[in-house]
Amino acid sequence: MSNEQPVDSLSRRRFFGGAGSVAAAGAGGLILGAGGATAVGGAVANAQEPNPAADVERLQAASAALSYPYYGTHQSGIDTPPQDHLVFTAFDLSATTPTELQLVLAKWSAAMAEMTAGRPVGKVEPGREQGVPVDTGEAFDMGPQGLTLTLGFGPSLFDARFGLAKFAPIDFANLPAMAGEALDPAYTGGDLCIQACANDPQVAYHAVRNLARMARTSVKTKWTVLGFGRASAGPTQKTPRNLMGFKDGTRNVSGEADFAEHVWVGEEAGQPWMKGGSYLVARKIHMLIETWDEDPIGDQQSVFGRTKQEGAPLSGQSEHDVPDFHATVAGKAAIAPDSHIALAAHENNGGTKILRRGYNFTDGLDSVGRLDAGLMFISYQKNPEQFVALQRKLGSSDRLNEYIRHVGSAVFAIPAGLPEAGSYYGKDFFA
Amino acid sequence: MSNLSSRSKFRAATPGLVAGTALLALALSACGSASTSGTGAAAGGNAGTASVSNGAAQVTVSVEKVNGEDQCVPNFSSAPAGPVTFTVSNKDASGVSEVELLSDKRILGERENVIPGLKAVSFTVTLDGGTYQIYCPGAGTEKTTFTVTGGASAGSANGVSDQLKAGTEGYAKYVAGQVDSLVTAVAALQTAVDSGDVAASQKAYAAARPFYERIEPVAESFPDLDPALDLRVADVEPGAKWTGFHPLEKDLFESKAITADTKALAAGIVTNVGTLKKLTDDLAASDGYKPEELANGASGLLEEVQSAKITGEEEAYSKLDLVDFVANIEGSQQAFEYLKPALTQIDSGLTTEISSQFDTVNKAMAAYADPEALGGYKPYTAELKASDAASLTQLIQSLQAPLAKIAEKVATV
Repeated sequence: MSNEQPVDSLSRRRFFGGAGSVAAAGAGGLILGAGGATAVGGAVANAQEPNPAADVERLQAASAALSYPYYGTHQSGIDTPPQDHLVFTAFDLSATTPTELQLVLAKWSAAMAEMTAGRPVGKVEPGREQGVPVDTGEAFDMGPQGLTLTLGFGPSLFDARFGLAKFAPIDFANLPAMAGEALDPAYTGGDLCIQACANDPQVAYHAVRNLARMARTSVKTKWTVLGFGRASAGPTQKTPRNLMGFKDGTRNVSGEADFAEHVWVGEEAGQPWMKGGSYLVARKIHMLIETWDEDPIGDQQSVFGRTKQEGAPLSGQSEHDVPDFHATVAGKAAIAPDSHIALAAHENNGGTKILRRGYNFTDGLDSVGRLDAGLMFISYQKNPEQFVALQRKLGSSDRLNEYIRHVGSAVFAIPAGLPEAGSYYGKDFFA
Repeated sequence: MSNLSSRSKFRAATPGLVAGTALLALALSACGSASTSGTGAAAGGNAGTASVSNGAAQVTVSVEKVNGEDQCVPNFSSAPAGPVTFTVSNKDASGVSEVELLSDKRILGERENVIPGLKAVSFTVTLDGGTYQIYCPGAGTEKTTFTVTGGASAGSANGVSDQLKAGTEGYAKYVAGQVDSLVTAVAALQTAVDSGDVAASQKAYAAARPFYERIEPVAESFPDLDPALDLRVADVEPGAKWTGFHPLEKDLFESKAITADTKALAAGIVTNVGTLKKLTDDLAASDGYKPEELANGASGLLEEVQSAKITGEEEAYSKLDLVDFVANIEGSQQAFEYLKPALTQIDSGLTTEISSQFDTVNKAMAAYADPEALGGYKPYTAELKASDAASLTQLIQSLQAPLAKIAEKVATV
């Protein structure tokens, strides 16, 4: 640990410089916010006295009404701008026959279409007094809230149980053991997964709850993580922060060309159902927040390779400056070679990029009385090897490892989107 | 275990009055829904009469999007009296997943899991002449009129009513048998307690419990009786006297001492079980049980398993929770078995699913049997709970999910 070292002159300058620019950005953010509200309110709002409460209501209504298409080339929830909330759940099948699995996948596919459109998955109030409500009701009338539901198949789905071995994507297997892991079996693996993202946490929770309920005789929930704040940015979004206080996802995959090169699977999986799909890697990362919080700012910034407030690389001035890994200050690398950004940068990894789509999570205290909180890291890539190569490097030498533990892990094959109503995920398996 | 909220679940406390209110509520909700989902012929429906082949009139119902709205489209709107087979499939309507044939509110036949992309499924019902409805919950037009021409038909839907009646009568006899056994068992418990023999009393306690646990929803339907017999210490109102099985359990298994109070508790149990016998006999002789009461009781017993047994709260001193657990399951399965002949007619797929889930549960519970243990099952220790509670929960939830659906199907409305 190097936090006894004095803060060097460079990071001290960055720190003060950063404070100034964030104050400006804060003001800019306020102006933007007001502008956004006005745009929603339209011309009428311009002529009226400022009414922040009404602006908030209009924004909330717009956010509630937001709906992403369910049918298409790719599943939603991958290149969709990250919503504010996540419920990630991995399931194991208790079903033993292909017919039961088929029914689960068909039921889920139809129910996902309904819920992403903001509709219940059956009667909230059945007409008959003895009827049990089909939909549990807690998201009734709340609107779609930008809900996306992304379904994945774990490597274990293709084992001997359902006779699906011939449908397994080429080289699809559990992630190899890597340095820096302390995996808990309770947060590892799964036959199926659902990534539910929405602007409202209750809408995301409702979706997963109802999917689990309608498949209760065939599927059991293996693990679940509730993410309360996005920790990655889409193209037009302001970069959010992880629980360490640093901006996360500044240099994310963005734009169609990047997605085609790094995220969407083509023919290489050897399975038609994967063409247009992707691979999801989930890592539940426990942050040792209390010790991190006591680490001096110079060390924190040096660990990440960026300033804390602005998020600028230590070789530059502002967040989106391209990091210069050769820049030196007083004969030392401005961005330490074992900093997080240096190890993860595509420039230093043969061009490898992954789409990060993680969320911050918290779940009370852990068994030894520390905050149980961290990052629910989710990445999408056209080959899980992309993640493995990066994580091998990070796991063995990332200075961040002192403050994080990977406690959960899973990989899922994400089938291509459904072309139209009447199709369902995995239909090819049961032809 | 007893609590106020679950007590009225099995049966309305005052049948006449509450049933009247329920009917009114139903009538109101029917009016309410009629305005949004009225009865009418669905778009694209064929007005003709279905012809008979394979011994039944053949009707197909296509669930599909019509002008962007989920609809149920039958190819015929009438059939001659006699057996009618409805073959249903879902082309692309993700908001509809079941199709029912109704006579007023009674479900005569139905298929669930009518999901886009899956192959067609069918059900056959034998119908008298009259007017019926094809009901597709969630469709733009939920109810479509279906007319059956001609007169009465041999083996018609009335057969289901007869089967349900036979089922409820059979269940009444089952309850009477359990209560009689309970009367004998608590008398033996009192004798053991009066003799001051703690070990014999523990045995007699374990022997008596299952008779009560199998019919607990019936006992719970009598407002004061279940709290007097089966209250846990946590549910005792401040200042109220704690009576029944559980304070006795505490004396026998925790302090392991029989006092005058212990003897009074045993005597109180005998008195209250005597009252239970009188009330259940009276009930059987008057209104009897309704099919939906059996169904709700079957599901209610599984709720008991989840809320009190898996948590280890029910038999906190004796650790006999798995004995109660198995008795709850048995009681639930009995209620289901009495409904099964009729339920098979109404929804054979669901009936098969429930039977298979009962098999799974029974097989799993057999692994906990221990002839050496008090009550015949392993004590539910903290260690056993820590290792097995989650899988037991999953087991029971998988049974309760389909079982909770049957009340609606057998309800006499």
